[in-house]
Parts: sequence; C-alpha cells; structure tokens
Amino acid sequence: MESLPRIHERGGQDETSEGRAAPTSAPTALVREIAALWGEYLDGREVAADDDFFAIGGNSLIGIKIIDRVSQDYGVALSVRGFYLAQTPARVAELIEQERART
Amino acid sequence: MRLTPGAAREIDLDRVDLFDLDLYTSGDPHPIWDVMRAEAPLHHQVLPDGREFWSVTRYDDVCAVLGDHRRFTSERGTVVTHLGEDDVAAGKLMTSTDPPRHTQVRRAIGARLTARAVASWQDRIREAIVRFLEPALDGGTFDLAEKAHRLPMIVAGPLLGIPERDWDELVQLTAMVTAPSDPHFRHGSEAATLAISHHELVTYVTEWVKRRRIAGGEDGSLLDHLMTVKAGDAPLTDEEIALDGYSILLGANVTTPHTVSGTVHALIERPEQFAKVQADPSLVPSLVEEGLRWTSAACNFMRYAVDDTEIGGGTIPARGAVVAWIGSANRDESQFTDPHQFDVTRRENRHVAFGFGPHYCIGGPLARQTLRIFFEELLGRFGSIELDGEPQHLRSYFIAGMTHLPIVAQKRTTP
Repeated sequence: MESLPRIHERGGQDETSEGRAAPTSAPTALVREIAALWGEYLDGREVAADDDFFAIGGNSLIGIKIIDRVSQDYGVALSVRGFYLAQTPARVAELIEQERART
Repeated sequence: MRLTPGAAREIDLDRVDLFDLDLYTSGDPHPIWDVMRAEAPLHHQVLPDGREFWSVTRYDDVCAVLGDHRRFTSERGTVVTHLGEDDVAAGKLMTSTDPPRHTQVRRAIGARLTARAVASWQDRIREAIVRFLEPALDGGTFDLAEKAHRLPMIVAGPLLGIPERDWDELVQLTAMVTAPSDPHFRHGSEAATLAISHHELVTYVTEWVKRRRIAGGEDGSLLDHLMTVKAGDAPLTDEEIALDGYSILLGANVTTPHTVSGTVHALIERPEQFAKVQADPSLVPSLVEEGLRWTSAACNFMRYAVDDTEIGGGTIPARGAVVAWIGSANRDESQFTDPHQFDVTRRENRHVAFGFGPHYCIGGPLARQTLRIFFEELLGRFGSIELDGEPQHLRSYFIAGMTHLPIVAQKRTTP
C-alpha cells in the first residue's frame, strides 16, 4: 500500500484545536505499548508518543477497536470522549494510569 | 447562511473559498453560486492543505452527478467534511454504496418509508406537532431553531423505536456529525468531534440491536425492520444495520429542523406570503415544496469521478472529487422563474432538496408529511409571527441551517 500522502492528513490542527504538547506523566513503557497497539490498527505504521490519532489516519471505526483492546488488555474502560480528546498515545496512557489509580 | 441573497457584489472566482466556514455562518453564498453558474459551471478549488475538488452548480449538472453512479461513485465518500479520506464504510453504509447492492438494500428498507406506509403515522405526528407548538403561543420568546432540533425525534423517535430518554443525546450527536466546527456542538477539534459522534451513534444502534435480540419478538419499529428485512435473499449484516440505522437517524435529525426554521424565517420576512397561505390552506403543500427548495438544508453532496469525465464545459480527472451544490441548483434561473423569490404559489417546483437519482432521500415522504402537518398546524394557530432577535446560522458547509431563530407569535383569532 502506498504511504499516506501528507496533503490528505488532517489532524486536530484545524481552526478549533488548542495547543497541546504537555509532557506526560505516564510510564514510558506504557506509552510505547499504546503506540504499538495503535500501529497494529494503522497498517503497521510506526507511531510516536505524541502522534495525533487523526493526523496518522485514525477514524472512529479504528477507535472502536482500539478502545475494545485497551479494555481487554489493561482492564480499564476508556470513555469514548476521553479517548478522542486525548488524541495521542502519551495522553491515552495517562488516561489508563488515571483509571487504574481510581480502581 | 443567508437564504435571501444580499446585494450583488464583485466576485473573483479564482479566489472563492467554498470551504470558508464564515461564508456559511455570517456570509452570503448565493451571489457566488450565481456567478459560478453563469461563468464557471465547473469550478476547481485547491485547499491550503493540498486537497482539491471540483464543483458543479447548475441544475442539470447537479442532477447528472447525483444521478449517474457509473460515472460518479458514492463508494469513496459522499460528505464534504471527509474530502480526501476514503470512506471507511464504503459498500456497507447505504449512502456510500453504489447499485446493484445499493438497490437491494434500499428497496428493503424503503418499503417501510413510502408515502403510503408513512400515511398511517399522520395522527401521531399531528399530536406531537401540536404539543411542540403549544409553548410558542404563551406570549414569550420562542427560539424556533433551537427547539426544532428536537422535532425529528419527537416525530420519528417512536417510529424508529427510540425511547424518549435518549432523544436529546441523539440530537446532540447527530448535530455534531454535521456541524463539527459549530461552537454549539464542538468537542475539542473538528476531527475529534466527528469521531466521538460517529463512534457513539454507531455504538448506540449496535447496543440497541443487542438488546432487541435478547428481548426477542418484534416491536414494529423501523430499526426492528432493519434487523428482520432481507436484501438480496439475506438479512443485513450487523455492521450494515448499525451503519444504516446511524444514517437514518442522521438524515432525519439534521435536515428537517432547518427546513422548518428556514421556511418560517422566509414567511416572517414576507408577511404577504404568510397572509396568502393563511387565507388559502390548500397552498400548504406548495409552501412546503417552496420551503424545501428555498432552504436546501442538505447544501451539497459529494461524489468521485470514476474516469476522466466531461461535465459543465470542463473535465474532472479520474478519481477527482466533485461537489454537487444542491443549494445552487435550486436557485438555477434556467429551471426556476425568479429563483431568489420565495413564492408559496410556485408551480412545477422540481427542486432537488431531497437529492436526485438512486440516493434520493429515503425519508422524503416522511419529511414531506411532517412539514405539511407542521405548517397546517402553525398556520391554523398562529395569527402572526415576528422576529425577536438576530437569527444565527449553523457553522457548516454541508448543512445550511440555523442555530437560533427567536420569534414571538400571536394566537390566530380569525377562523
């Protein structure tokens, strides 16, 4: 499959996005696992900790699968809104940490 | 967007930006489309991010694009918000499927939505509309556009089989799909808003189906019909049920309210038209058609050219995206006399507000019936309607709509 042309990539950087580049408090290993998990559903591409889900080809049908996998593999239920608003592996890892701390 | 165009102005077609959301929130697209129909019936635009699309604005060209799936496929997406991303639901979602599969599914689902089938729901719809209108007559300000968002669920919720406790959430989610940049509906970025709303709507229908399967039996609702109907000798797959259920919810929720608001706004601006149809209720059906044409709530649909295709005096290259501007086609002077006049007595009103060809709105008969009953009741009860504040328009290039239309209405005293 040909690589995604850059011009078609559209992330959260439209008129409505807010700047978000804060460092994550989640363990690096967990961030890496989440990035790898995303990669599985995104044609095996390399995903970095701060990659924007939508900019690298994510969509809601892929999101449904990833949220399911996270709940199976990590035993935490991510909220749909939480997942899409988090938008990067680093932030999703943080959500998982928060959910684990709560239970 | 303004439905009554402002003064003609200088338009530079090379600089026109049809994806400029401000054009629809606070601007005036009709004068632009007028010039496009006259001077550039096939218009090409490249967005700053490199995505590009062609536009057709004439009535005949819009019908050709929407009507010929062999030249213009729906299977790579039909909604401009997703320009440049291949449709993930292609071949499964009815609106993103070409014939022959489309025809099988469409026939099966459509059997429950014909004019004859929906006629049996008239009394229930009328009761719901009367309840909806009552608070508008207690003397205070009534924000029709805001309230009307709920109208399709009030009317179609029971027919679809959706309990009242879920209506508000579904109204919110469907609005997010069609206007992900509008501050009323946005959550985070546009992309996040779209994903959240798609995800939650598809999940809603999926869970609904699961619950119905466990409960067993049939409840006679339209969603139930999706579970039992056969298309091409086989039932729909669970994925098709979820996606088509989502699509039906969307089609009902995001268009009818804006047709109601746009038509009422046109009548407020033209008291003589209001008086005319009030004096002669037999004009209500033609008021409804004129309101559909005037508002053109589904402002456009997109297709992709299969091969290099000639249209509108130019060529769309193979795999190029083409946007068919319904809002413009419905003001084409070659089809409609005085197209920018709102005329409740207009004859031979062959508007394309419901689209054209194989994907013609499956809910059209239900929408027509709902609008007819709505205006019968409104004109029977309201003596006059006035604006009580500035109308606000939806921030969307896909749906031409309103978010606020504050009105004050007086009870009708004359018979």
